[in-house]
Amino acid sequence: MSGPGTLALVGAGCGTGIASVCAIGMLQIEQLLGGLWSVAAVLLAAALCGLLARAFARLSAVVPSGAGLLAFLSRGLGRQSGLVIAAPYFLLTLILVGAEATIVGTLLARVLPVPVAAGALLFLVGTWALCRAGVQIGYRAQAAATAGLVLCMAWLSMLAITGAADRGSLASALIPHAPSAVHFMAGTGEALFLFMGFELITSHAEIARSPRAIGRSLPISVGVLAAFYSLVSLGFSCLDAKAAAAGYRFVPQLAIAEQARSPVAVALMIVLSLLASFTCFNGALLALSRFACALAAQGTLPRRFGRLDPRTMVPRKALSVLLAVAIGATALVGFGGALEPAILAAAIAASLVYGCAAWVRERPPFAEEERGRGIRLVGRALALGLFALGVAVAVDAGGARAGTLLLVGAAYGGALLLARRARPARLPEPAHGD
Amino acid sequence: MNPLVNAMSRFARAYNRRPDLMAEQRGWICTIALVASDSSASVAVRLENGLITCISDQAEADVVITSDEATLRDILELRRGPNEPYLFGDLTVRGRERDFLRLDYIAGVLCPE
Repeated sequence: MSGPGTLALVGAGCGTGIASVCAIGMLQIEQLLGGLWSVAAVLLAAALCGLLARAFARLSAVVPSGAGLLAFLSRGLGRQSGLVIAAPYFLLTLILVGAEATIVGTLLARVLPVPVAAGALLFLVGTWALCRAGVQIGYRAQAAATAGLVLCMAWLSMLAITGAADRGSLASALIPHAPSAVHFMAGTGEALFLFMGFELITSHAEIARSPRAIGRSLPISVGVLAAFYSLVSLGFSCLDAKAAAAGYRFVPQLAIAEQARSPVAVALMIVLSLLASFTCFNGALLALSRFACALAAQGTLPRRFGRLDPRTMVPRKALSVLLAVAIGATALVGFGGALEPAILAAAIAASLVYGCAAWVRERPPFAEEERGRGIRLVGRALALGLFALGVAVAVDAGGARAGTLLLVGAAYGGALLLARRARPARLPEPAHGD
Repeated sequence: MNPLVNAMSRFARAYNRRPDLMAEQRGWICTIALVASDSSASVAVRLENGLITCISDQAEADVVITSDEATLRDILELRRGPNEPYLFGDLTVRGRERDFLRLDYIAGVLCPE
């Protein structure tokens, strides 16, 4: 079969993981921990995701489904539980789109005479219109956009590190005071947010060149993401984090670009960030619209959203609903101060959903009969560790705690309502043949 | 007789009664196989220019759909749409995305769940 191979899948996994909003997440970790502690948090999160990558490879081998997380969790825990756990993860991803759109608006406002809100709206509506016309970014384009951003940010981070070394401030930048255990756990939980989406490689199982390509690309993606985030985290450590947070609240990637004192570097960063945001939103919008369409087709959401357009094979009505939600999320982030809560809520949902994935890997139909008791205990300990990270993020959220818990509560409340509406759709046996 | 072949014949009759739907699939050439995971039953259907040209019990195809036999029969006999078992991991698909999106569309039109 001529589907995507390992390299293309790694590009897709990293492309989904690396969004522009990740720069804000890294700055938050930098403010919480700083220096090598931030890198340690990223590497610990990467180690957990490495173990998760093995778990996801097994889940995908047993249930090679494009429905991914929902299919795995439903097979392992039951349909309603699967929906209640997976749906908030998708809903909070959509809230993150609000952050991504605000970043795009801020970037556009730096180079064009348009207000931030207008730039954000242009990004949302433009991407929606392309999705509505059936335009889907190919694997190569996504991989190229991701590679460009990775190389550019890695280069600028190296410049920041060597600049600090030249000024003689490298040691003080990299070795701050040791954080408390709760702070470190919260930082690690937030670092999980940086890896969010790597597991969506499993949703390519239906079209991948081979099942082994899925198994190989999951840990490779985690490795690439870990190396990238560690280097950029070091780069952020060499900036003045407080000044960066004040002057570049929505676009800390520009703080690292502008320290290079090169207009070309800044322009390159803006273009590559815009491309990364576009490829991320294009993929997310199409995937979430198909998910919403499938839920609507079986009556969990209003049925009018459950139709595919016969020409483009795109669920246009579902796409329009998602656009409305994305615009609402952008207003929430831009005007409602929900940037930090959106990131923290997504980190909590990621911890829970990843913990549940690790848990179901040790249950039928995923656990092998011959799997040893010791390794099963390790799998369950991984799940509990991930749950604990989610709790630490909530405990350590500070001033953003109320907003974070409100978003988490709304997402899980919405998922409970969805699960109540979900039921097996089956018509009675026909009385006479057909 | 292979129960999936019978069920596929019913599905084909329902499809052939919808010239509008067949017209929308003009230009589509594809072989689709349905394979039962809990029995040896399988069935394949060949579409050329949107017309069903052949139904057989082979398992080789451009798109392979796997689920338990009861679910496959329910879908082919239009008692149930494919979305629900797909979403919850009871039905898996392997093949080109554009082919199974089209298949999803046809099943959705014939069986509006």
